[in-house]
Amino acid sequence: MIAFDKVTKKFPLGNTALNDVSFEIDDNQFVFLVGPSGAGKTSILKMITQELKPTSGLIIIDDFDITDKNFSQKINLRRKIGIIFQDFKVLIDKNVFENIAVSLKVIGADYSLIKSEVKRVLEIVGLAKKGMVFPLQLSAGELQRVAIARAVIGDRNIILADEPTGNLDPKTSWDIMKIFKKLEGKRTIIIATHNTDIVNSFQKRVLALKEGTIIKDLRKGGYDL
Amino acid sequence: MNEIWTSIRRTPYQSLSAFLILFFTLFLSLMLFVSLTFLYSTLSYLETKPQVTVYFQNKTPENQIFKVRDELLSSGKVLNIKYISKNEAFNIYKQLNKDNPLLLEMVSADILPPSLEIYAKKPVYLPEIAEYLKKQGDIDEVQYEKDIVDKLLVLTNTIRKIALIFFSYLILMSIVVLTTTILFKIALKESEIILLKLIGATNFYIRKPYIIESLFLGIAASVLSFGIFSLLALYFNPFLQSYLKGISSLSVNVFNYQLIIWPFNYIFFTIVFISTSIFGAIIATVASYIATNKYLKV
Repeated sequence: MIAFDKVTKKFPLGNTALNDVSFEIDDNQFVFLVGPSGAGKTSILKMITQELKPTSGLIIIDDFDITDKNFSQKINLRRKIGIIFQDFKVLIDKNVFENIAVSLKVIGADYSLIKSEVKRVLEIVGLAKKGMVFPLQLSAGELQRVAIARAVIGDRNIILADEPTGNLDPKTSWDIMKIFKKLEGKRTIIIATHNTDIVNSFQKRVLALKEGTIIKDLRKGGYDL
Repeated sequence: MNEIWTSIRRTPYQSLSAFLILFFTLFLSLMLFVSLTFLYSTLSYLETKPQVTVYFQNKTPENQIFKVRDELLSSGKVLNIKYISKNEAFNIYKQLNKDNPLLLEMVSADILPPSLEIYAKKPVYLPEIAEYLKKQGDIDEVQYEKDIVDKLLVLTNTIRKIALIFFSYLILMSIVVLTTTILFKIALKESEIILLKLIGATNFYIRKPYIIESLFLGIAASVLSFGIFSLLALYFNPFLQSYLKGISSLSVNVFNYQLIIWPFNYIFFTIVFISTSIFGAIIATVASYIATNKYLKV
């Protein structure tokens, strides 16, 4: 479970990214974060990954209070989270297999497990035959598939996607969203997006943000600001 | 090894600059180290040369002179004491004036005093020894070159201090320059490092490849520096042999071990190689550790 309780984030120059935000996301729930640029979607994701610390408020992830000053499980918690970025962030000097394997290598998994797991997720994302290909030889859609594979491999039960279809054409965006659909119910998935069609079509929970505040929390909503 | 080679191949210019900086630093340090070691041991050699000469009165019995000699030897401050008896003093006198028969006729062994030539372990002990001797009975005269000893002491202390400052400066500069070079190399991988941090990599996991690569470059630069140094040592060996003629050996005290540096020998070369490799490995590791720190705060 992920819980934000009255979380506020103010930057030193005075601008407010989040203002008194509270919500709870259950395990294996599928949630869209929607809102215009600067609404606070990315700030929420960055707080879950602990790239940002709140100015005030409480954040609980899997029973850990990550806002506690004595919290020492940052690395272990990050190992439960898979992240997908708008700009893919694939490692250009590593092939597809290595890019995905890095997620398991950092936790010290042995090579036989890495090999079988990478093979499994490559099939899920539809890149079974492209393991040895380097990123420069892949299309944008394929790069995002690599990023998704890297995020879902292993025991990463929270998947955070920041504008995963932002750099993709409509058809590829739908292909990517189909992969998320396959993962539905098996992981907690939080997708920050602008894509109205996708949000409307999925009919999943929607947290709508505006100027750092949650303005709507729809259990089966569409993109409605 | 494969990963190191791949990393070097993918960032060849940064790797080459890191290697060259390491090489120039290590080569310069090595040459400086050997030169200073030579200078230091030569100074140590020269420091043993000034002496106190004590002339006893003519009537002083030999056992009284030997008593003074033994007391000095047991003080731990004396390297060597040479006893010059009346007859030996006369022989020296004859040798010095062999071309002047008139002078030889005027002097006999009876009028020449017996003496002790005392070589101290360090020149700072010479004034103490001179003072001690002046307090003994049967002493005719105590001679030692106070001015020369004082100047030598000032010179050796200054050289040691300058060497220490220069070495510290060289180490600091090499770490700063190397850190900057590695930073350029790591900057290209900034997004990779941040990604690794976000997916749960430990700092050690992220640092390891950079430290291993730097270690590899450090040791490779040490080997090259040592190779060039060895060739130079072989080339200049005949010149040094003629220049240092008369000095049978030069040595330095390293942790109570007397390391002979001249004539060149395998032990000295081995120690120089090991020291250079360790020095190269340490500065490469420290530099890459500092450089990676910048990106690990995510």
